[in-house]
Amino acid sequence: MTDVTAEAAPDPSIPEAVLGRRALERLDLLLLTVESLDLNGGEAMLWATRQLGFETIFPNRVELWKRRCHNPLRRSTRRGQLSAVETEALIRILCVMADRLYPMLHQLLSSREPEELTRQRWGLVHQRLRDLIEERMNLRRGAIQRFLGSEPEGPLQRQLVLTLALAAGPGGVDRLRASLLDPTP
Amino acid sequence: MVMLKQSYRYDQTTARLEVEGLPDFSAGHADQAIGILSAWRLKIVGASELEGKREHLEALMAVVIPYVRLRLSGVVRALGELNDPVRLVPDGPQHRLDLTSGQPNIPPLSIQLDDAQLADLVRCLDALRADGRVRLSWPAIEHQPLPRRDLVEKIPLMQRLTAPLLGGATVVVLGVLGLLLPLPEAQAPKPEEAAEVKTETPISDPAQPDQER
Repeated sequence: MTDVTAEAAPDPSIPEAVLGRRALERLDLLLLTVESLDLNGGEAMLWATRQLGFETIFPNRVELWKRRCHNPLRRSTRRGQLSAVETEALIRILCVMADRLYPMLHQLLSSREPEELTRQRWGLVHQRLRDLIEERMNLRRGAIQRFLGSEPEGPLQRQLVLTLALAAGPGGVDRLRASLLDPTP
Repeated sequence: MVMLKQSYRYDQTTARLEVEGLPDFSAGHADQAIGILSAWRLKIVGASELEGKREHLEALMAVVIPYVRLRLSGVVRALGELNDPVRLVPDGPQHRLDLTSGQPNIPPLSIQLDDAQLADLVRCLDALRADGRVRLSWPAIEHQPLPRRDLVEKIPLMQRLTAPLLGGATVVVLGVLGLLLPLPEAQAPKPEEAAEVKTETPISDPAQPDQER
């Protein structure tokens, strides 16, 4: 299989955003949250890739998966960093997916929804996310263990869902990119 | 020439932003464009309708969008000063939007927003700023990575102090233990032992010729 790299044809409109280790972890975890909200999330991401014109960067599901494997918390992790073009593509795909799932994100975050229903929704998302994490992440890592030990509506999960809601749509791309480029405290 | 007032609406589940205005024909705008803003209205579910001038809408954008940017980094901090027209303050799990009118007879207004309402509000503002039909030059809002000191604030004080305190305590404990260890006593050689010490003839230089040894 050929390794498609996105180093060719630099686009001046794309900022030189090269993510650090923590940001890669966060970006992949956000994509995983999208998959936990949408059972067909993997296919939807491919569809978003085509819709945004990123077929040359991620021509198929394997290439997309390989880029996501730069997350050091993955069970099968890859060395190296994502290029600026790949990073930008992943951020834009995430924002499109968040936009598509926005009604669901809104329901989870709203204080006006019936409490019992909200609890059930969070429980469902939590369970799906746990399953995905157990399937794909290195369970010996402290960050993963902390996440798996968290409550369904705990601060870690709420921050993930809130991030998706606040970064949804084209307006969220710049905000999310800037937050991913934050230095590690 | 008939001047047609244009009106555009940006709807979300709990927020609705509506702008009205006229095209600025002197700037070459099309009929459907808004180049001169005449009014705006913001309706948030459970709160009074807000309206004002263009500068009030710009003030709202200048507070809400950077506040959301901070929340994306997990930083919980108020934006806007006291008595500013718009201020957004974290209020437990919610957010409080404080609005102060420039007119003396209008009392300040506070609106409680949950996370979903905040997201709706920023989506309305994003949609307005991105709308190509509204040809107003909004103030630029640049999103930059936050300085490290802003991010440190979100880590609880105890967590921040744990590592240096543990390090300091370890140094102190090791220092005290070091002081408690007895020093070996320096023993002076006894006089008998000193007398028994024989003076050995120096070893001849192996390189010396045999006759000279």
